[in-house]
Amino acid sequence: MFRRVFYIVDEAVRTLRRHKGLTSISIVIMSLSLLMLAVFLLATDNILKVVGEAQEEMKIYVYLEDRTGQGAIEGLYQTILEQHEVQSVVFVSKDQALADFRDQLGDGADMLNALRANPLPNAFHVEPKPEFKNRDAMVALSARIQSMSGVEEVRYGKEFIDKFQSIVRGIYYIDGVVGFIVILSAVFIIANAVRLTVISRRRTIEILKLVGATDPYIVAPFVIEGAFQGGVAAVLSLVLLRVVTEATSNAIPDLTFFSPEKSLLYLVICVLIGSLGSFVALRKILRTQP
Amino acid sequence: MTEASREDRTVIGVYHLTKTFPSGHALEDVNFQIANGEFVFLVGPSGAGKSTLLRMIYMADFPTSGQVLVGQFVSTRMKRKDIPYLRRRVGIVFQDYKLLEDRSVFDNIAIGMRITGATLYQIKRRVTSLLNEVGLFHKRFALPNTLSGGEQQRVAIARALVNHPAILLADEPTGNLDPDSAEDILRLIFKINAGGTAVLMATHDHSFVQNFGQRIIHLRDGKVFEDRTTHLVGNLSDRLEAVRLDRERQRRVEREIKRQRASTIAPTKSE
Repeated sequence: MFRRVFYIVDEAVRTLRRHKGLTSISIVIMSLSLLMLAVFLLATDNILKVVGEAQEEMKIYVYLEDRTGQGAIEGLYQTILEQHEVQSVVFVSKDQALADFRDQLGDGADMLNALRANPLPNAFHVEPKPEFKNRDAMVALSARIQSMSGVEEVRYGKEFIDKFQSIVRGIYYIDGVVGFIVILSAVFIIANAVRLTVISRRRTIEILKLVGATDPYIVAPFVIEGAFQGGVAAVLSLVLLRVVTEATSNAIPDLTFFSPEKSLLYLVICVLIGSLGSFVALRKILRTQP
Repeated sequence: MTEASREDRTVIGVYHLTKTFPSGHALEDVNFQIANGEFVFLVGPSGAGKSTLLRMIYMADFPTSGQVLVGQFVSTRMKRKDIPYLRRRVGIVFQDYKLLEDRSVFDNIAIGMRITGATLYQIKRRVTSLLNEVGLFHKRFALPNTLSGGEQQRVAIARALVNHPAILLADEPTGNLDPDSAEDILRLIFKINAGGTAVLMATHDHSFVQNFGQRIIHLRDGKVFEDRTTHLVGNLSDRLEAVRLDRERQRRVEREIKRQRASTIAPTKSE
């Protein structure tokens, strides 16, 4: 068993070394089409990150009636905190709110001196749990809080959320269509590069069959070569992508590169594409040849 | 010899084999058996069905009706995954050698054993002995395209023998060779047969097959036209000598004709 594995790996390594030219060409073709795929994936990754950050900002502001007493406020605090969608609640008193506002105005704060009474209400800043930061959950939670006694007004940026939701939906749609085209063309180009390698070695396959090689012995070296080519092409395309993102870092300053985990996943997928491509191309030839 | 023991010794059996292609009959009701260690020439003009018949024997193709037996393998009960094991019992040699151009003589011969999972030591021993047998030990590291046609064919023969097959199939093995190399190859094949390996050699060249004392199966239009055993006239070397003389005379005649033609077409051209 071990000996067979050794022969098969040996076979793959020898062919890769013998056919340096063809191997390099198909690696270059693969890395370029993978670069296209990587650019798309990086764009998607960053869009998702931006969307996530925007969702972070989703909060509910609960303004209280002025006549609500200290005890009632504490009761209300508990009730809101007990809602299952709620992550945390922060109480901001009238005075606190005015002080914050004064800080924010800076030089313009003088106009606040004209005030005889503080017009700002006591408030809760409610932070929903991440999974409830969507339009429907926000609406439901707000309505429930609105109906509690002592609550004067609930604000959750309805207009912003509605607009945000439709923009995100549009982005996802475009991303999906582009992704479909990019993935399809990458797979197509890679499959063709692999097929070229296999066809160029038709004669070898024919001879191996004549001397009595079993199908796995014929297929395995090709699959190893395909995996190798896919892996090298993946690394090359990531390096190229890194170069591209560095070069354009002035134009797109907030672009973040793939995390190490995502890079590894990408590598694994490319290795799989390479080896599967070889396998499929080979099976066709094996069937048609006696 | 009794009928039963003859059956035991059969290495190839072809029974009522008919092969039909869309263009028509390629082979029609072909019957013959080849015993262990026998030497058989398969002759007939090109298009008579020699190659088709050989393909049925190494099971690259299957009969439309009838049956082919090779050792314990039966064409009508063959599964796709059994075919490699049949091929290891049958050595095959072609007119165009079918060597792997990108590896050495040694590796070309070794490939037949590597696929069986033999140890490196076993491979080295067997391949070295075969290289000596075909007289190419000094060229073991050479690539096929640096060898002459006759040498390439000897590599192909060594590869065919690497797993000790019961029979060697040769499809026009001398077809691409000059007469001297062809004679060498024929001698080598006789020597292999003398070692106990049965041989079925297809050829359209009658000068080879007459009077060598071998069995001849003559195919014509897809049918066995004749199945007879010739008698060796003189000894083998004399016969090969006669063939060589015939060829030498023929070559001289052809050269003379060519020369005459050249001088009539371009009379001003100096030698």
